[in-house]
Amino acid sequence: MRWGMVIDLRKCVGCQTCTIACKQTNNTPPKIFWRWVADIETGAYPEVRRQFVPMGCQHCTDAPCFEVCPTTATFKRADGIVDINYDLCIGCGYCIVACPYLARNIVFENVPYYAAGLIAPEQTQAHPDRIGVATKCNFCTPRVYAGLASGQKPGIDMDATPMCVGSCIANAMHFGDLDDAKSNVAQMVLANKTARLSDDLGTDPHVYYIVE
Amino acid sequence: MSTQKIPEYCYQCVAGPDLLNVCVEDGVATRIEPNWKFGGIHPGRGTVCVKAYGLIQKTYNPYRVKKPMVRTNPRKGRNEDPQWKEVSWDDALDLVAQKLLAIKAKGLRDENGYPRLAVTFGSGGIAPAYTGTLPALLGAWGPIDFGIGSGQGVKCYHSEHLYGEFWHRAFTVQSDTPRTKYLISFGNNNDASGGVLGVWRHAQARADGMKRVQFEPHLSVTGAHAEWVPIKPKTDAAVMFAMLHVILHENDWKKVCDVPHLKKMTNSPYLIAPDGMFLRDAESRKPLMWDASENRARAFDEKFEPAMAGEYVADGITIGADGEVCTYVGAQVETAFQKLLTHVQTYTPEWAEKISDVSAATTRRVANEFLAHANVGGTIEIEGRTYPHRPVAILLGKTVTNGWGGYECVWARTLMATLVGSLEVPGGTIGTTVRLNRPGHDRLASARPGPDGFMDQPLNPTDKQNWQAKPKLRNAYQTLVPLAGNSPWSAALGPAHLPWLFMKNPPDNWPRPTTPDVWITYRTNPAISHWDSDTVSEMMATFPFIVSLAYTVDETNWNADVLLPEATDLESYQLYRIGGTKYIEQYWKHQGFAIRQPAVKLPVDARDLCDIATELAKRLGMLNEYIAALNKGGGTGIPLKSAEFDFSLPSDVSPSTADIWDRACKAATREMSGGKAEHDLAWFKENGAFFVPFPEKDWFLHGAMEDKGLRYELPYQERIWRSGKELANRLHEQRIEWWDVQLQEYQPMPKWKDFPDIWARIAEQFDKKPDDFDLWLLTSRSMQYSWGSNVGIPVLADVAKNIRGHSGVMMNAATGKKLGIQEGDWVWIESPIKRVKGHAILREGVRPDCAVTLQQFGHWVTPVAKDLDMPNMNALTPLHLAITDATGSGADVVRVRVYKA
Repeated sequence: MRWGMVIDLRKCVGCQTCTIACKQTNNTPPKIFWRWVADIETGAYPEVRRQFVPMGCQHCTDAPCFEVCPTTATFKRADGIVDINYDLCIGCGYCIVACPYLARNIVFENVPYYAAGLIAPEQTQAHPDRIGVATKCNFCTPRVYAGLASGQKPGIDMDATPMCVGSCIANAMHFGDLDDAKSNVAQMVLANKTARLSDDLGTDPHVYYIVE
Repeated sequence: MSTQKIPEYCYQCVAGPDLLNVCVEDGVATRIEPNWKFGGIHPGRGTVCVKAYGLIQKTYNPYRVKKPMVRTNPRKGRNEDPQWKEVSWDDALDLVAQKLLAIKAKGLRDENGYPRLAVTFGSGGIAPAYTGTLPALLGAWGPIDFGIGSGQGVKCYHSEHLYGEFWHRAFTVQSDTPRTKYLISFGNNNDASGGVLGVWRHAQARADGMKRVQFEPHLSVTGAHAEWVPIKPKTDAAVMFAMLHVILHENDWKKVCDVPHLKKMTNSPYLIAPDGMFLRDAESRKPLMWDASENRARAFDEKFEPAMAGEYVADGITIGADGEVCTYVGAQVETAFQKLLTHVQTYTPEWAEKISDVSAATTRRVANEFLAHANVGGTIEIEGRTYPHRPVAILLGKTVTNGWGGYECVWARTLMATLVGSLEVPGGTIGTTVRLNRPGHDRLASARPGPDGFMDQPLNPTDKQNWQAKPKLRNAYQTLVPLAGNSPWSAALGPAHLPWLFMKNPPDNWPRPTTPDVWITYRTNPAISHWDSDTVSEMMATFPFIVSLAYTVDETNWNADVLLPEATDLESYQLYRIGGTKYIEQYWKHQGFAIRQPAVKLPVDARDLCDIATELAKRLGMLNEYIAALNKGGGTGIPLKSAEFDFSLPSDVSPSTADIWDRACKAATREMSGGKAEHDLAWFKENGAFFVPFPEKDWFLHGAMEDKGLRYELPYQERIWRSGKELANRLHEQRIEWWDVQLQEYQPMPKWKDFPDIWARIAEQFDKKPDDFDLWLLTSRSMQYSWGSNVGIPVLADVAKNIRGHSGVMMNAATGKKLGIQEGDWVWIESPIKRVKGHAILREGVRPDCAVTLQQFGHWVTPVAKDLDMPNMNALTPLHLAITDATGSGADVVRVRVYKA
């Protein structure tokens, strides 16, 4: 099993619904994005191209963040997800520098969204274990495995699928088992022209982008 | 830990409602999820857009108005601290009731005939999804001025609304996106303003190969997936006229146009007399067409093959303004289509290039690609009925359809669709909404037979006997705008900026608009959202008593006398119609009703608007009238009694909010299911929504038009022209000449005028030189904020920053370099009336002669929003008759200069 994503760049409109749904599901503080959509403009007037590219952890097979982690806090799961053991992380930030996808963050205090202070949902959903350690997307591991445990199929049943995928209003994002040739994502990779971000770095990402 | 999922609807934009669940953990709302349960019914898999996720922070915003408050500082204005004082709900409601009772005692209209009570709702057409039963109380009250604007006319799609409904019952115009293969867009920003379904459907259409060509001055989020054609602002009509030229003069129109459709379902074959009116049969007064086989004119409703083009000699009469009859014998007449051929003959792509900066080759190619995709003659079967299949559509953006040039653009767009028969058929350009005709929820039924073979349309009268010489509302929509009609929506669709303008500077021979004795505001902030926001702020500070249903303090309720804190989206009840066809991209295969309900305990001492309405009704001694209005469906939109059921509220008992909605739930489900289902409030609270199938056939007006033998009133606008002539007569009889320029818009077929020049020259009205303002400042919607009343929610600002434009004013990089401006610099943006500050954002995707700001900001007291450092173009846009078109709208366009601060 190798969990992965296929993101259809023909469909993404940069609306940031996945961004905010991720923030709420994972209770990330201000300015911290485990998932976000880049707004990229290339060319010179009037030959200009604008493209929206959902960004986040690519869950690489050869993950630079894993290589540089001095404490083994960053680890690769058997299902392909790259995760972080917060108990082992010392917040050195090497992984943040090493990640070519700008997917990792660190905060040193639980900053509220409103200057007046933390509101009730921020208080009840606080994650003290994430202060001073590296954090990033984990493909909504708890959500996916809770869904599996209740007999649902990740990528098909939205309650068992990463929230960015389930919330996408363009149906641009898809999740599934890349090792299963019959899965939605494997079929999409086969049927479409895809690319992976900075493929030349040899990181072997688990996120594919449909480009045309 | 206990976790509940509470179903709700989200209607924070006019492309809804969508369905969601609020996750409540141990009594705290923690997150929003799409309601995937309805994924098979909701055409966007049950998802909700970015705005819906902001509702958690909206609920727990620490800056909410926490209790009713009254002003203690009698002076009003931006520099006057209201010195709020908390009061009890009883005291606040007593004070409001006292002011309203004083109106009742004096008479509901003032000495100038204007209603003493005015009410302004904001957020386009979405406020009714949150007003609870308040409209029932307002309906029971009597005359109210709903026409004091919050910025509509500039911020909506005004000409499209009025003419779209007139021509094809399309208050809102859409593409049949699932079947459209070629889409021309002039500034339509679907991916920012089309809601979930707009984004979902267009994304799929792109993946399926739909091509989109986007004419717009800056590369919007929607243009990102299209061929971008950077057009000069306000020249769209020129390019569309040139496309008409290509279709009709560079192609063989007999081959590329849908001629049978034009003959049978438009006024193309109608004969036009020398005076420009339809040539009519002298006895029946029916318009005539030419029968070439018998070489004579015959009535339009006789069965024969009419001539499409050509000039003929015929007898008949014409009916001009004020019933003036002109008799013609042996007159030289021509068909409307022949007139059209002549009309667009000089509008070549080369001519349009000089005006618009769009190359002639591009205009020519796009027009021909449109024809190539039109599939003229093709058919498709939908639910057992055969329809023309024309997978081409044209969409317009708000600044294209608003203000001068709007009529020209909507006419040309609708005509292009008509020429190939793609209006109101699968794959083509369709409407979704009616707002001026009835029934409001059944577009097809609203297509009633009217005069001359066209649909009926309730134009405001312009004849001598019935014209409303003395306006009954301050924006005078019945007096000045025949097309606005007189439905409950009409006041908001009139020239809603005129009250502000005329209160300050009344024109000649016109009753000066008085300030209302009491002004009630809800989800509106005209001190920010209205053009020339400074003048509007100044004027509202003169209002003697303002009641604001308030969420936080804002720039408008800063002038209020009473703040009544509202229970917001996730804290109050409402049952609302969903599905069918409505507004932007809302055409479903189901229709039904969805619920909003309190998901959590109120964190502040706010009240459901239904509770506020009921309490006020009691205090005003209007309980009986309020309940009678509720029983008729006022407020809820759901009559509680019919021939099949009776859930009426007893007239003598003050109803609880839950009881009202319980009855509405039962009545709604009985009515919608044809008596097969009945569900109460408890059922809705658990299940969220109730649906029945909606025929896909009903997405298209074509069937109703065909069945009723009706014609689209295109290309020739005899009725509009006549009403304009009559309006001119009436106004001139009153010695009113300040509307003369607007009267010129009434034309049977619109001609190009130098629209950009109108905005360039406005500087002269303020004793400034037009040449000193060398850039066009435009605006563009942002999905994160559009219509949402959500500028005070920090997580939305956080995620919106990922999209260009949410940190300042966008300019072309080369222009920035020329002006010595670098990315992020503070700059002044100065128009003839004011300057505002913003950070420069340098891009390639902006025309060098343009600057663009998103949405409307510039807040100075709204919590969170006041710290966003975002410029507001509304402060720069003059409030002036010279930039008001005949429908009463303006456009988000102003000439500015930009320099380093």
